Amino acid sequence: MMCRYRNWIICLSGAFTLFVTGCKKQTDDHNAITDDALKNNLFELISANPDLSTFTNYLKQTGYDQVLASSRNYTAFAPTNTVLATLDPAISGNADKLKKFIANHLAGQLYYTTTVTTAARILMQGGKYNNMLGSKIGEANITGKDKYASNGVLQVIDKLLPALDNCWEFLNNSPLAPVKQKNFMLSLFRNVFDTTNAVVIGVNPVTGDPIYQPGTDSVYTNLFWNSVHDLRDESKEFTLFMLTDAAWDAEVNKYKLYYVTGTADSTTNAASWSVVKDFATDKVYDPASIPDTVLSKFGTKVPVSASAIMQTIKTSNGIIYILNQADVQPFSKFKPYLIQAESYAATSHDRRGNTYFRDRFNTVTGKDFTDVLVLGHGVALFNIRYDIREVPSIKYKAYWVAVNDFQTATFTQKLGIGTATSTTFGYTTVALNNFNEVYIGEFTMSQYRPLFNIYLTAANSTTAAANPLVCDYIRLEPSL
Amino acid sequence: MKKIAVFKLALAAVLITSVMGCKKIFDIKPEDQLDVSQAYQNVYDADAAVVGIYGKFMKLADRYIILNELRGDLLDVTNNADEYLRQVSTHTVAANNPYVSPRPFYELIINCNDALKHFTIMFKEKRMTEDEYYQRYSDIGALRSFIYLQLGIHYGEVPYVTSALENLDALRDISAFPRLSFNVLLDSLVNFTEALPFKNVYPAGTNLNITVDGYPTEKFFINKQCLLGDLYLWKNDYIKAAEYYRKVMELATQGAAGENYYSQYKLGWAGGFNHYVSYSRAGDASTLVYNDGWRIMFESAWASDGFRREWIWVLPFDNKFQPENNLIKLFSPIGGNYLVRPSQEVMEMWESEQQVPAQGTPGIPYDARGRLSWRQIGGQPVVMKFLYNYINYVTNLPANQLVKDGKWFLYRQTHLHARFAEAANRAGRHRLSWGLLNNGIAGAYPAPTSNVTDYHNTLWDATPFNFDARNSGGSGVPYYRADWYRNIGIRARANLVTLAIPAADSLNSIESALIRETALENAFEGTRWADLLRVAMRRNDPAFIADRVYNKLIKSGISSGAASSARAKLMAKDWYLPFKW
Repeated sequence: MMCRYRNWIICLSGAFTLFVTGCKKQTDDHNAITDDALKNNLFELISANPDLSTFTNYLKQTGYDQVLASSRNYTAFAPTNTVLATLDPAISGNADKLKKFIANHLAGQLYYTTTVTTAARILMQGGKYNNMLGSKIGEANITGKDKYASNGVLQVIDKLLPALDNCWEFLNNSPLAPVKQKNFMLSLFRNVFDTTNAVVIGVNPVTGDPIYQPGTDSVYTNLFWNSVHDLRDESKEFTLFMLTDAAWDAEVNKYKLYYVTGTADSTTNAASWSVVKDFATDKVYDPASIPDTVLSKFGTKVPVSASAIMQTIKTSNGIIYILNQADVQPFSKFKPYLIQAESYAATSHDRRGNTYFRDRFNTVTGKDFTDVLVLGHGVALFNIRYDIREVPSIKYKAYWVAVNDFQTATFTQKLGIGTATSTTFGYTTVALNNFNEVYIGEFTMSQYRPLFNIYLTAANSTTAAANPLVCDYIRLEPSL
Repeated sequence: MKKIAVFKLALAAVLITSVMGCKKIFDIKPEDQLDVSQAYQNVYDADAAVVGIYGKFMKLADRYIILNELRGDLLDVTNNADEYLRQVSTHTVAANNPYVSPRPFYELIINCNDALKHFTIMFKEKRMTEDEYYQRYSDIGALRSFIYLQLGIHYGEVPYVTSALENLDALRDISAFPRLSFNVLLDSLVNFTEALPFKNVYPAGTNLNITVDGYPTEKFFINKQCLLGDLYLWKNDYIKAAEYYRKVMELATQGAAGENYYSQYKLGWAGGFNHYVSYSRAGDASTLVYNDGWRIMFESAWASDGFRREWIWVLPFDNKFQPENNLIKLFSPIGGNYLVRPSQEVMEMWESEQQVPAQGTPGIPYDARGRLSWRQIGGQPVVMKFLYNYINYVTNLPANQLVKDGKWFLYRQTHLHARFAEAANRAGRHRLSWGLLNNGIAGAYPAPTSNVTDYHNTLWDATPFNFDARNSGGSGVPYYRADWYRNIGIRARANLVTLAIPAADSLNSIESALIRETALENAFEGTRWADLLRVAMRRNDPAFIADRVYNKLIKSGISSGAASSARAKLMAKDWYLPFKW
């Protein structure tokens, strides 16, 4: 009996052992690396290629060999030995520059030529970007494509990917940048209130406002970055136009006429700003295909004739054209002001109870609009104030749309230029049910004004039927 | 070997004892559920059955909105909607579409049948009084007719099952139940519902008309007279329909003449709680009143006067009891899936209306009910009617994202008045119909110059069209304030101008205007498809429904080919969903 059981047990354990050992082999088969390419990491893959021995050496020099052997994923864009032989000794001989240069060939994600089918701006290890599309990166072609390793992809390229200055770095550092425009743009640095990094050291007991440690509550920043484009931004691409010194002076002098102020310096400043703010776009224009007119951020047409282009500088985030002429026309630069009457800055008296923001249908345009009506306010010369900014010293034609559909009597109102009681314009009769734009007249700005007031002034009467104010919008059209 | 024999014996013994024991074990009744033999003991059990059926009915709320609105032209799908919802919207429903399965309707119908059967048994066994029996039997019977009406509207030919089945599997063999065409089904429903012994609301003070968990239950239950009006309206029996609607309109005409007397279901103004579209300064469009007036009817408390005067049938969703609010899931981008949105078509309908002049003529060039029915939340248009108890109208945020309270709105006085007017119009009472639509009976029959019998009334007419809206004014002698003197009309309440109707074709013009007005007033409340279908069938004019659906689809941005094929399908009177069991 016992004997029989023992046999049983032996048989069973034998089967079990067979079963377990069998399993082991199967799991091994499943997990085994069948693809030899995956047995090497990216650095091993690069160093195994004799055609990339220079690149391998540079990786070792800069310490990136360790990075490419790590467990994170990288794409290496490796120039061949022949290409790297052309590298400027000033870079290969300088550890910092070399590191920057090599970093610009390594991306922290996987990029295959087969998957980057739309133009992509890819972030490199040095913080700069290169444009990639299919088997093209920057200026280089990818000749050895999509060789993968356990932690990344190797792309062999036939040109260098230099770590260029960005647009702002060029402007700041390069001797090629024209001095006068550069100096003006560098003069635009201001301390701007910004609490992002502010240190709070107390609270004002009266107002409850925080008190900031001096020096931390503001940011030293450039107006150009904030108002036009931040040319330091590596992730975007810009086109910047720079004028040679003579052309800059000519252009600024041309605009001084429209920026009359009390002092010559202020005039130069205002005219310079007016000139420079149209000189950057957030679209990159290739030298081969740049149109003869480029539209600026503010809708101004900047003429770019091929003969005026003195120099073209490629930067890491776009392109800079140095021009010896850019004759921007004033009629393109100066835009009309469209003042929506219901969004006013202030009223002379608080009459919200008599103010109606009316939604109406315009039978002329076929569109709905919102206007403002102040009715029965009981104040002679009641007025509404509007603020407009950066008004050049030019002539303007004024128009309004004012719909008198709320009473059968006509009434009068006027535009006050600068002051509510200005006599620039007399009173204009607001006709019944007129949905058309009405021409009010022309006025000249004698001086450039950073901030200027326009008023809508009611009749000098306290009678409700005589002193309403109504307006859809006021349009000030430059008249050059 | 002997050992094994013993073992076998023992095993057999255990097996036998356990099998014998089973019988008794299975006889034990479950402790947390009622067995059929224990239910229906007394009237409280019957009440529990009624409430249970309505609770189950509420699970159909989202399906009711999807079928009735998404198939129509006022509701559209969002990017979040799945393929099945898109099929419903574009009239390309596949048989496997879960939104169009009739099974949930029939589950409820079987429940109703079961309850009806047991109510009758209880009555015979004297476990309920006659009154109690009539009230509950009629309620559940009417609810079943309502569900069958819905089935008929959406599926055309459906099996009409009125016997109690033990379980749903009995329904599996559908050939056992002959399918009735929609028209025959309507006849059956009219016969059954008309024969119900009790057609009023549950009397105040009875078990089913009390306040529970802060909710007055009065509005929970279907209004049988409204249902009968609807059934007759579908049958084009206009006088009968109008008679039933009129009964509901006169529901409050009893007792002392107070605020409720003049305003509940009469669309009359009251001393307060008016559901006007208004501006705190007339003419100043920026002062549209949100915290009161027309919008508040969707938010206000159940016990408030305004709510009670407006609503006829509403069911509550509350986080404290089941079922959970499936309408938030459908409509809300916050705490929900945001599956549907207002269509471009309905937005343009609201934009094309004209308000009464104020501080200028003409007035504001749109219908402000649009701004109160939907709003932009996070740049997306959201249907707000069902969300006002959840999302705050000021902040566009829920007070508590997990507290998903709300209401399922089914029927209110504007439905009632529009349908009464529809029946009256078809019965030749064009002016009366026009008045109810526009600025009230007094507006349609203004103060006369010579014949004073015409003064604000239609008393010369036969019932149910004889309204008395006389109002002698402040100094009139004798002093009159007749029952209907406060009636203001649907459009006047919404601050809209009255519609001019061409004399040549008052009938069709007024009918179309009524359907359009119901869209503007009652959009998304689950009646649009039925309204369109009823008129299209009555006029034998499939374009009435097909053109509107086409307009929605073409404006929603789908290809013109897809929109055209939906139109062609509806033009061929292919209005019904596949009845796939």
